[in-house]
Amino acid sequence: MKKIENRAFVCLLLALALAAGMVFFLFRYLTQGGDWASSAFNRHLYNTRGQLTAGTVLDRDGDVLSSAQDGKRTYYDSETVRKATLHAVGDLQGNIGAGALNAFADRLTGWNLVNGAFGADRGGDLTLTIDARYNYEAYQALNGHAGTVAVYNYKTGEILCMVSAPSYDPLHVPEDIETNDRWKGAYVNRFLSSAFTPGSVYKTVTLTAALETIPDLEERTWDCAGAVKIGEETIVCSGVHGEQDIAAAFANSCNAAFAQIAVELGAETLRTYTEQAGLTASYSVDGLATAKGSFDWALDDGRLGWAGVGQDKDLVNPCALMVYMGAVANGGKAAEPYLILKTKNGLGVPSLPHWTRKTAALIDRGTAERLAELMAGNVEKTYGSSRFPNMDLCAKSGTAEVGEGQAPHAWFAGFLRNEDAPYAFVALVENGGGGSSVAGSVAARVLDVIVNGYEK
Amino acid sequence: MTLPELLAAYPAVGVFYTSFVRFLFPVLAGAILWRAVRSLLRAPHTPETWGQLSLPGGGSVPLIHWENILGRGKSADVRLNYPSVSRQHAALCRNEAGEWTLYDLDSKGGVLLNGERVEYSAPARMGDTIDLGGVPLLFLPQTVEERETLEAKRRAERPAAMWPSFLWLTVFQLLACVQLMIAAGEEASPSLPLAFLGLTAVMWLYAGALRLFRCVGFEMETIAFFLSTLSLSVTASSAPGSLYKQLLAIVLGLVLFLTLGIFLRDLGRVQRNRWVMAAASIGLLAVTLVLGNRKYGAVNWISLGALSFQPSEIAKICYIFAGSATLERLFRKRNLTLFIVLTGLCVGLLGLMSDFGTAAIFFVTFLVLAYLRSGDFATLSLICGGAVFGAGIIVKFKPYILDRFAAWGHAWADASGRGYQQTRTMSAAASGGLLGMGAGEGWLHRVPAADTDLVFGMLCEEWGLITALFAVGSIAALAFFTVRACRAARSSFYCLAACAAGSLLVFQTCLNVFGSVDILPLTGVTFPFVSNGGSAMMSAWGLLAFLKATDTRENSSFAIRRSGGRARRKEVRDEEN
Repeated sequence: MKKIENRAFVCLLLALALAAGMVFFLFRYLTQGGDWASSAFNRHLYNTRGQLTAGTVLDRDGDVLSSAQDGKRTYYDSETVRKATLHAVGDLQGNIGAGALNAFADRLTGWNLVNGAFGADRGGDLTLTIDARYNYEAYQALNGHAGTVAVYNYKTGEILCMVSAPSYDPLHVPEDIETNDRWKGAYVNRFLSSAFTPGSVYKTVTLTAALETIPDLEERTWDCAGAVKIGEETIVCSGVHGEQDIAAAFANSCNAAFAQIAVELGAETLRTYTEQAGLTASYSVDGLATAKGSFDWALDDGRLGWAGVGQDKDLVNPCALMVYMGAVANGGKAAEPYLILKTKNGLGVPSLPHWTRKTAALIDRGTAERLAELMAGNVEKTYGSSRFPNMDLCAKSGTAEVGEGQAPHAWFAGFLRNEDAPYAFVALVENGGGGSSVAGSVAARVLDVIVNGYEK
Repeated sequence: MTLPELLAAYPAVGVFYTSFVRFLFPVLAGAILWRAVRSLLRAPHTPETWGQLSLPGGGSVPLIHWENILGRGKSADVRLNYPSVSRQHAALCRNEAGEWTLYDLDSKGGVLLNGERVEYSAPARMGDTIDLGGVPLLFLPQTVEERETLEAKRRAERPAAMWPSFLWLTVFQLLACVQLMIAAGEEASPSLPLAFLGLTAVMWLYAGALRLFRCVGFEMETIAFFLSTLSLSVTASSAPGSLYKQLLAIVLGLVLFLTLGIFLRDLGRVQRNRWVMAAASIGLLAVTLVLGNRKYGAVNWISLGALSFQPSEIAKICYIFAGSATLERLFRKRNLTLFIVLTGLCVGLLGLMSDFGTAAIFFVTFLVLAYLRSGDFATLSLICGGAVFGAGIIVKFKPYILDRFAAWGHAWADASGRGYQQTRTMSAAASGGLLGMGAGEGWLHRVPAADTDLVFGMLCEEWGLITALFAVGSIAALAFFTVRACRAARSSFYCLAACAAGSLLVFQTCLNVFGSVDILPLTGVTFPFVSNGGSAMMSAWGLLAFLKATDTRENSSFAIRRSGGRARRKEVRDEEN
């Protein structure tokens, strides 16, 4: 009998397996419960058409971007504002997964682990960090082009402006949205979920690596004849820049000089600095994972030259680039970006204040200061300070070639050093043309509204 | 003014009531289960003693089972640490009538009874001398004094009184019933309060009737009645028309529980009927295969007019009955061949019905029983390997079988297709939070099989995570109790059957709960006692009878013949002669 009694432990093993499984389930419940509840088929939170039945989305000024009335969801009155805030707010069909109505449904309705969806029909308030007016300006500035514009406070992490285009009116979804190329990628928030060829904005990373690894960088000069042949590849420049020091080469965005620097640094060094800059990592913006950039470093010298100026197979996520700009501005570490300013559940209980988290050191403090100087030099020498009134601007433009017969992507990324306006930004106009002229103008218009205000 | 009229006039009353009782239910559930589980899991109780063996060097060893192994081995019940004694030397077994038999277990040193050599076995009587490999033992009854001390001690250890739990459970049932009526609003039918009232009445009737027969252990019944209450509530949400049917299932389950428990009292009767049970388990499955209807992909239902029935549920009970054995049989027939054949037939038939969940349950029960009987890891590993190989071959020739489980692990990727049920379960479960939306206030019940296969999701949604965890935990508590109770079981038959039944209940809960939330493949098995369904409810109660039959605490179980009864008096008479 004793033998059998001893063997009875198998029964306990099964009971322990049950317990272990329950612990695993509880872990998932705690970490993913909000996502489970935020499913369009959850009738406690959504109506039969999959629309959130309760909860109000506001911008940072308290303007109501979307609310539910009698179980039906409404949006802001102005059509342009609806388009400009679509990717931040979300659509009615649940196609824009990163929109607040879909991604933050749990917090919007006041869902929580203790009470579940009980009382969620009363609805809560979710205030975004964005300002509808800034989004409006940015959307107008994009002028019908595909692209993205974003501005955030690198000290606090608040995203003030976040626009993705093409966009559409959520109350009147275009009928040809699935078929017409005009709407290609309209469901995607380009700022968070896409990666693009960076072109010359990537030179900020190449320059960071050069500043730290080439000791006599500041004494050297480069001679640009409009093109340089490295291995099999001919790296062409936007012009003939002649003899130039590093500051001039950066301001001229000289491909010849930077391709040579990239080859001198080598693929491993560039990989290290690219990874340190956070361009291959994913950020979590209130739980929304950003797309990771990607690079191919198994290259011969010629292609490495192209990769060093942001071409070849380089892909960068706009959000990651913006955070890197913030880190350069903020002495190496920037605040991690976020979108939810505050929430208030159906009973009026407000959320805890946001806890600002910093990124790891994306760049060394000393290098960051020097890079900022050089970027300020770009504005002074090339872009023109007068376009950016009252702004201590540091920036880099990019004109990324994206294939034969297509206009290049226009980039403009950088930050303000103003004490009262600690903002980093990124502007991308797909197939827009010249970086400084096109994307620079978009950024200028948005920054002007943010820094110099607007008529209320 | 009736309740529906009151609610129609003041809708806020309903909302207020729900927001209040949802906090109360977990507290009540805790109060109901706490007493029961604590009493079940308290330190091992003093076992019954059936005689003693006095040792050559003085002192004696009590015999606390009906089946005792004598030997040098660590796992011997009477350990004799002499070099001439084999590890498993002899066995001393008692039958239902109180007659003892001494067995020689192929020992090297031989066994002598009153100086005569025992060939295989010989009847032994109190007062006989037993000689194992030259070590003399005297087989004696307990002295009257010893027995009285022991009985006093056992009486002092009586199980915790369960009437407070029954009282709390009654409050629980009452509040749940009102909550369900509020949720149903104008559609509430009189069957709702009547069914709940019926359950309460059955519960108290049962307790009262057994108390008349001086039974005092009601912990397992408390757990079962609690889970049955949840079942009735789940039924009220999902299929209000089946409330009476579900109540009837609980009553029939209780009848089966009592019948089987009383049947199990007599070990002789049990031994004689093992073959019948083996035949019944095969027969029930075979009949289902021939006459069954397909439902959710598996052919496991038989319909007789309006009644539909799942014979595989009852086959579980028969299978455990047939697979358990007394120690005497275990050393007379060491190999598992016949049992393996029985298992092969059952699992094969279930496979043909495409009821893979139940097939898995049978197989795990087989592994538990086979391990308990043989302790042979090597053979069982071989069998497991063979089963995996066999399953591989079946899948190779019938790959569509896997289709049903294709969504496993990534239900969200196919949320409107194969992951439909799992994603709904998880979403509804998360909506409930810790306290639930309130009984009857869910939507998961509209999803097919919500009240059976996905019932864990319904519990989470309507009753909250805490109560759902209580439900799962109380099944685990039954398994823990089984293992403890085995130490004082009379015969290995009860020990084996209880462990198998406990394991089956736990494994079935695993498949149900984890299948519904995409941790395991969704196989469509029921949550014991909770799922809506007559056969499943009866099966769960029936299996509980096996657990009840290991509970040898003084006067605690109706499935145990009282030790102070006829048999004991006969022994005393024998002694006096």
